[in-house]
Parts: sequence; structure tokens; C-alpha cells
Amino acid sequence: MSLFHRIRSSLRALFSRRDFEAGMAEEMGFHLEQYTDELVRSGVPRDEAARRARIEFGGVNTVKADCRETRSLDLFDELGRELRYAFRSLRQSPGFTVTALLTLALCLGANLMIFAVLDAVLLRSLPFPVADRLVTIFNTYPKAGVERDGSSLTNYYERRGNIPAFSSLSIYRFGTAIVGQPGSTVREQIAQVSPEFFTTLGVGPAFGRAFTEAETTFQTDHVAILTNTYWREHFGADPHVIGREVRVDSFPRTVIGVLPPGFSFLSSEAQLYLPLSSRPEDRTPADRHSGGNVIQTVARLKADATLAQAQSQIDVQNARLELDDPKAKMIADAGFRSLVVPLHADQVAAVRPVLLLLQAGVLLLLLIGVVNLVNLLLVRANVRAKQGALRQALGASRGFIVIEALTETTLLTLTGGLLGLAVGAAGIRLIAALGADRLPLGAHILFDARLAMVAVIAALALGAVLSAPIAWFNLRLDPALALQSETRGGTAGHAAQTLRHCFIVAQIALAFVLLAGAGQLGLSLKRAMAVSPGFQSDHVLSGQVSLVGNKYPSPLAGLAFGERFVDELDQQPGVLAAGLSTNVPFSGRTGKSAATVEGHILRPGEPTRGNYSYGVAGDYFRAMGFSLREGRFLSNADSRRKERVCVVDEDFARYYWPNTSAVGHRLFQGSTAGAATEAFTVVGVVGSVKQAGLTDDTAQGAVYYPYIDRPDSNLYVIVRGSLPPAALARAVQKTVRGIDPELALNDVRSMDERIDASLVTRRSPALLGGIFAGMALLLIAVGTYGVLSYAVAQRRREIGVRIALGAQASQIRGQFFTLAARLLAGGTIIGVLGAWLTGQAMQAVLFHVPAISPSILAGTTLIMLAVCLVACLLPAHRAARISPVEALAIN
Amino acid sequence: MGSSEDKADVLQGTLALMILKTLDVLGPLHGYGMARRIEQISGDLLAVNQGTLYPVLLKLEQEGSIASQWGTSENNRRARFYRLTRAGQKALQAETSDWRRTVGIMERFFGAKAENFR
Repeated sequence: MSLFHRIRSSLRALFSRRDFEAGMAEEMGFHLEQYTDELVRSGVPRDEAARRARIEFGGVNTVKADCRETRSLDLFDELGRELRYAFRSLRQSPGFTVTALLTLALCLGANLMIFAVLDAVLLRSLPFPVADRLVTIFNTYPKAGVERDGSSLTNYYERRGNIPAFSSLSIYRFGTAIVGQPGSTVREQIAQVSPEFFTTLGVGPAFGRAFTEAETTFQTDHVAILTNTYWREHFGADPHVIGREVRVDSFPRTVIGVLPPGFSFLSSEAQLYLPLSSRPEDRTPADRHSGGNVIQTVARLKADATLAQAQSQIDVQNARLELDDPKAKMIADAGFRSLVVPLHADQVAAVRPVLLLLQAGVLLLLLIGVVNLVNLLLVRANVRAKQGALRQALGASRGFIVIEALTETTLLTLTGGLLGLAVGAAGIRLIAALGADRLPLGAHILFDARLAMVAVIAALALGAVLSAPIAWFNLRLDPALALQSETRGGTAGHAAQTLRHCFIVAQIALAFVLLAGAGQLGLSLKRAMAVSPGFQSDHVLSGQVSLVGNKYPSPLAGLAFGERFVDELDQQPGVLAAGLSTNVPFSGRTGKSAATVEGHILRPGEPTRGNYSYGVAGDYFRAMGFSLREGRFLSNADSRRKERVCVVDEDFARYYWPNTSAVGHRLFQGSTAGAATEAFTVVGVVGSVKQAGLTDDTAQGAVYYPYIDRPDSNLYVIVRGSLPPAALARAVQKTVRGIDPELALNDVRSMDERIDASLVTRRSPALLGGIFAGMALLLIAVGTYGVLSYAVAQRRREIGVRIALGAQASQIRGQFFTLAARLLAGGTIIGVLGAWLTGQAMQAVLFHVPAISPSILAGTTLIMLAVCLVACLLPAHRAARISPVEALAIN
Repeated sequence: MGSSEDKADVLQGTLALMILKTLDVLGPLHGYGMARRIEQISGDLLAVNQGTLYPVLLKLEQEGSIASQWGTSENNRRARFYRLTRAGQKALQAETSDWRRTVGIMERFFGAKAENFR
């Protein structure tokens, strides 16, 4: 029976049923005709001849039915038989089947889960046409310590239309606004964009129009574009929404367009898009470098332009503009450059190492699982070798046995794959719970057809990988030897045993690496959490308020609000201190500005440093729990004073006045010294705080000015109180609304919560790493148990003999413990090497954790020791309790 | 002998061999021609229904031992002709030697007397 011919005829049979029937009918008709003719020639009358021919032929329909049956007794029918047989034999060994399915489901599921995240964040391109042509441009001043400073308005106006490599260039700025009628105002996320923003992206309003050039001034920008969801929720999907009014920051704006459903720009949750308006005087060369990392650029490369071309064109333009830039020397010293980078890559750059690390870890887990499975399958094949040899002796072909084994393996992996899909889907929900929405583009992690296809392909690939050793084993098996072997379990080839032991050693090494890696992630998290933020973060509530509308035309109005706010809150019981600031630590806003210190001579090449600048009011410092190093804190009185004062932090003080006290020295806002009346006198030095994050090690320095000298309509309120957080929040909210009902307090969180949230990108990987390491340990335990059980089973006779000759139970147990110990030792040595290598590779992701950490290695070794000990307890115990009589009686 | 089912199975196996041998000796034939020749050679001892030929022909074709082709018969009618393939040639040789060996073994049994069994 040639397999090739059978496949060919089966395929032919599939496709040519009609031809087959017609051919059959014709052939049998011919046969009957011939026979009838022959009978007629021998003298039988025609009717009689026809009748006899039919009888002798034997019933045309019966023959046709037989032919049809023969035709379908082909590969597909047999495949069905094979599958049923495989299913039965799997069901008869539930231990094996359950272990294998669980291993497959968990390992595949974990991989799918991480791959879903990887796919959504790293692999899938942005949802815009030809998205790989989208780039962003940002200014960088590395020597001044300002790595990213976004773009400025001037940059935009100078670049658009003048850089040939770009077909379109636009800027955008994220923010919030108070939207809605008085009394029912809500703070919404918004985005301000330049007129060609939607053209650059390649996706525009579904109906209506985009912004025009005329709408970029403060007088003419009273228009808005709604997102599809906002239009549905707040305008009832009104088809005549164009021309209707929406109130933004208490000014009415006309709706001019609605975006298509599903439009989303990067990670923004903006509900409305507004024009990015500005005054002509903000677009001058003097403002070229005052970006503050607020405005960002997105541009589209022309189809035939390269990134390098765009970069050089930008560089050339920068060099030309620098010639008559008033700050030319300063920016040159700061190492200024405008960098052009692909938009997608830029967005995900921070999380890329972590995601790749997690994917590597989970692939390692899969590898361990696969090795476990191969071991299991080989043992199973061994056990059934004798049965197979017998069947071969009775006439089954070797190929037949192999196909049977392959069918079983494939059935196993496909079922495991399906279960893995279910596990993966659950895992994706887990990821969402762990804060996937904090990942850039993380809102789009879905379980969809693409993922399912990946799962199926993976399962099939696994099936092939697992089938190979089984097929090899069965093909190489010598039936004669198998029949002759003594033990019930078939051949006990030395090579096979060595292979099994090598597998276990490899698994232990891999699990060691995983466990050590997870340990390092955990240690990194612990060290990050141990960093002091620089202030007292407990019992401090923070919130954001925007002073918008015509009630706050000047900074004095803002100051008045601040004073009233602090006064009213101070009178409330349970409030210890209250203050306001234009920025707080862990807000996510890391824009820096320059300050010029009087009398500080810049060394050649030394840039003016960027530092954090805050405008504070009320009792900000006490509310946050700053430590005072020298002098005094600022107070509300300082905003009303004629003399200009400020407070610096100790990093700033140490940098500029390393040998003397900072108090009494003077500095200027901005990058140049001004008139004497503009100087700020330092009256105090406070402890440094972590603005960007707990793991931010750069001591950038901070300067605190009275609110009046550094005003902003977006303020943070800080309240320290002994009330429980909910009650405190209510009190603060009430106070704000009591002063001005149109104001809304939002983003109300305690500082502890903010710090916690900033650690999510460390905590989630550590947690996942721990889960994967736990799964790996489980697999190791199962694998070790399996190998040792098998070793015991194989040596039953030998052990029986030894016990009969007087060996002690402890000696027998010791033999197997020794075996386990040797395997463990081998695996650990390789594992340590592997852990060192991965530790090196992980440095980008770790915080203050070296590649080799003795405590982690020791801990990992101990845990692996414990796991292996437990795993070999039962087999060793069983070995010691073997009854010699039973063991010797085995044939 | 056993039931009619056994007879049919035995017949199927031997029928296949007969078909192969017939094609080997006489070259390409159509189904009717084969049926008549087999009847002739077996000396009319085989009173099989002619229709039983066709499932066997189908099976042999599936296995690749014979190949079929539409052609014209002696009296200019369209008919399906079968011929032996090289694989079929090999199968024929193998089966023939198997049969001969079986026949030989059985002969020795039939020729054995009571003494040989002690």
C-alpha cells in the first residue's frame, strides 16, 4: 500500500465525485451492452439476453454501492479511525494526558498573553495610513541635562513648508479643559492641534471640516472638533451637530467636525480637538527654545524621502537659524539638536526592553514545558514499545505505528493549543488589571483572530517538534530486542537514560535563569520602592484645578484664589497644612527651564543647566513635608512683597555654591541675567525631591518661586490632613466649589497613590516574572518526579535484590537522593552562568541591581533545592519500600 | 469451509491476483474483457457475479498497482482500459511467490502421514 498513491487517489476522490459517478455508469453500461451483444450473437433473443446479462452482472446498484464504499475507504476515513484510537488511548492514561494538557495550556497561554501585549504595542503599526512614514521631531539639550524638550511654536512656523523631506508637518499639545454648561461642568481630556494635523495623520473628520489657518489666533479659535464617542454621548449622535455650540473653559465654541469612530491618536483619551492658537509674538525667534516639553511635532515623510534626509535638512535649517539667534552660544553649549525619530518607535521606546524581556521569559517557560513533554512522551513510547513490537511481528507496518504515535501527539498539542487559547484570553484580562492601560498604545490589547491564528500555528509547530523525537524513537526501535526485554517497561537503553537526564539538567538550568530573573526584577522593585521621594508622602492629598474663564484674567486673581483657599481650609478641623503649586512630584510633567545665577561664570563649554521651576503659594512646603536645610520656607506673604525671593533645593545649592551657603545669593529666571530689580534672593534651601520618578537619579535641581512670579492657570492643590482620604477629598472639593462654583477639582489622589502608580511599570513585570517562575518550578517538580519515578521503576529488580541482600531503606533512598542531587548540581552550575548572562542583558530594566547578586543566587539555589527535594521524596520513599519478593517476581 | 463472508474475502484477495496476472499476460483490457478471460481461464469453476470485479479494480487502482485510461473498444465504443503499472508488476511477483510458498507448505501438510506427527 503506497502512501503516496493513497493520498493522490484520496485527493482525486475529493474533487471528482461527479466524474466518478458518470464514469462508473458509463463503464457498467458498456459491460452490460457487450455481454448482451455476445448473448445475442449466440442466439439468445435480445430481451432475454439483456435480462440474463443483468442477472449475471449482479445488480448494477449493488455494484455501484460497493464501488462507492471502496472509494471512500481512503485516507480520510482512516484518519478518523486514527483519531478515535488516539483519543481512546489518551483517555486510558489520564495522568499523562492531564499533565501534558496542563503543561501545554499554561505554557502556550502565557506566551499568547505576552504576545498579545507585544503585538498591540510593538508590532502593530499605528492606525493611520502608511503609518511608518510618521515621525516626531524634538529638541534636546543633553549637556544642560534636558534630554527632551518637545518643540516650540517658533519651530513649527519656521519649519512648515520649508523642509522638503516632509509632505506635511504639524504640532499638537495635550491638555484638559472644563467642558459643559455652568453647573454641570466636567474636566475632559483635550488636544490642541495645528490646522494640518489631520492631513499629516491621513485621517480626518468623518463629516464637517478640519481647522483652517485663520483659526489659530485667540480671537478666532472658537471652534472645536468632536470625537465620535463624545458626539454620541453628549450630542445624541445628532446629524446636524455642525454649527451647534459646546462650552469649553466657559467660552462657547462652534462644532465644525466630528471624527470617525475608532479614531485614536497615540495614547491620548482626548474627547475634543481644538485649534492650537497662539499670539504672533509667541512665534518669534526669541521663543525658539522655550518649548518646555509641552508642544510636540508630528510630521509625515514623503514617499521617497528617508529619515536621514529629513534629519540633515533639519540640522541645516537649525544651523542657519542659529546664526542670528540671540541665544546661539547658550544652546550650542547645551549641545542642542533637533532629533527626527519614527513616531511609533519613539512612543514605545521606554517599554520595549521590558516587553521583550517578558516575552523571552515566557518563551523560556515554554521551552521548559516542551522538554518536560518530550520526556513524558519518550517514556510513554518506551512503555508501549513492547506492545508496538508485538504488533509489528503480527504484521503492522512500522510506518503505521509511527503514524499512530504522531496522531496522538498532534491531537494532544491541538487540544492543548485550544486550552492555551482560553488561558491566554484570561491572561489578557489579567494584564488589563495589572495596568495595561498605562502602556503606550496599551488600550488596544485585544484577543482577536490574529492571536487565535498565532495560537493555532504555534500548536501545530509544537506538534511537529514533539513528534520528531517520538517518530525517531519508534523508527529506530528494533522489535526483536523490545520483545526480548525483561522489564515490563520495555528497553532501558543507556543512551535514552542519559538523554532524559540531560533534559532534566537543561530544564533545571532554564528554571534557574527564570527564577533568578524574577528575583532580580523583584529586588529592583524593592530598591525602587525604598527610595525616599524627598518629602513626606503619607497623609497628603493632591488635586488639580484650572483657573479658567474671565474671572481669572491675571496672576493676582489666581493668587487671591490661592489665599482664600488656604485660609478656608486652615479653618477646617483635621487639616494640618494646605498649599498650591504649579507642579508636583510624580505629576508626569518634567519640563525644565533655565535659571541664571548671579556671579556664576560659565566655564567654556559649560551649558546653562535646566532645572525644575515651581510657583508656590500657601504652605506648600509644610503640606508636602519638605525638610528645611537652611533659611526658611516661602509663604503667601512673599507673593505680596516688593522684594523678590526664592527657595532652592540642595542639589541646586550644591551645584552653584558648593562651598558656601546658598542663602543670600541671587539668581534670575531665564537664561540671561537681567536688571538688579529682577533678581531673586535665595532665602532658604530645602531637601531635594524626585520629580520625575523614584528611580530618577539625576540631581537636576529645583527652584521655588512665589506664585506671583511664576504663575500658571493650572494648579495643584496640596493638603496634609489627619482625616481619612475620602473625607479630606470631600472637604477640599467643597472648599473649591465654595470659592467658585465653576471650578472643578479633579485627579484627586494622595501622593502615596501617585508614587504607587509611577511604579506600575516595575511592579507588573516583577509580578508576571514571579508567576512565570512559579510555573517553571511546578514544571520542574513534575519533570523531576517523572524522571525519578521512572528510574525507580526501571531498577525495581536491582533494588529488590539489594533489599533482599540486606540493604537499608535509607541506603536505597540515599541512592535516589544522590541522583537528584547530581542533576540539580549540574543544572545549577549552568543556571548560574545563564543567570549572569541574563542579568547583564537586563541591566537596562533593573534599578541598582547588579548582574550577579549573591543573595538572589543563593535564594534561587535554595528554592530549587527545596523543589527537587520534594519532587524526589515520593519516588525515593517508594523505592525503599519495594518488596523484594514482588520485584523479583516480575518477568 | 467457513461462511459466505469468508468466501467473499478470500475471493477478493484472489480476484485481485487474478486481475494482475491477466493484465500481465494479456496486456491492457477493459473490465468486460477481463471478466470473460478470468471465467475462461478458471474453467468456469468460478461462477462469480461479473460486477464484483469493479470494486476490486477500484482498489487496485487506488493502491497504484493498475492504471486506467479511456479508449475505444473493438466495436468502436468508449470503454475504460486498465493496464499493469510497474508497482503492480512488483506486487504481482511478490504475491505470486507468497502464494507458491503457502501452497508448498500446505502440500507438505497434506502429504504428511500419521508418523510424521509424532
